[in-house]
Amino acid sequence: MNAWLLAACGLLTAGMPPCVWRACRGAPDQRLTGIALGGTVATAVFLLTARGLDRTSYVDLALVLAVLSPTGTLVFCRCLAGGARQPRRTGAERAPGR
Amino acid sequence: MDVRDASALILLAGGTAALLLSALALLVLPGPYQRLHALAPATVLGVPLVCLALAVDAGPGRAAVKLLVVAALVAVSGPVVTIAIGRTVHEERAAATDRAASTGQEPPA
Repeated sequence: MNAWLLAACGLLTAGMPPCVWRACRGAPDQRLTGIALGGTVATAVFLLTARGLDRTSYVDLALVLAVLSPTGTLVFCRCLAGGARQPRRTGAERAPGR
Repeated sequence: MDVRDASALILLAGGTAALLLSALALLVLPGPYQRLHALAPATVLGVPLVCLALAVDAGPGRAAVKLLVVAALVAVSGPVVTIAIGRTVHEERAAATDRAASTGQEPPA
């Protein structure tokens, strides 16, 4: 066990559960933050595990995840926003008092 | 332990602490807009510091460049994802308020 694996285990045991918890509860749009942070923590775990196990070629996994994780979250945002965005409402159409 | 190992260890500890702080903030912060702040320390500080630690440990070369590319990708995509999530949460709330207004119910808190 070295410092890299120790940090990876710490992130997995203490960093990932809150993300899974937020991603599994609440309204759909409020779960996105858990998904986004989960992707970031997973990227860090991939990096640390690759170095801790002396398999530096596995850094490519973290590189691919660093590209796909935000892309996936943006796709979720797009789906939750109902595909086509509503036309931006001008001030006059907004409900009074808002 | 020479200077390079010590600096890599310090950077690793800083990055891991920032990531764990983000996870704690995700749990503790009450509302959806406040929870968006939990993403910033992880994407702009945590993963870049971890990548910097790995790059210092790997030494100058192609591997360090790949690690710094990963750090740059995460640091740039973090704010973009945060803005997109904030906009989605706002639009969902506006739609829920409209639905509540049209059916005469109490809008969500």
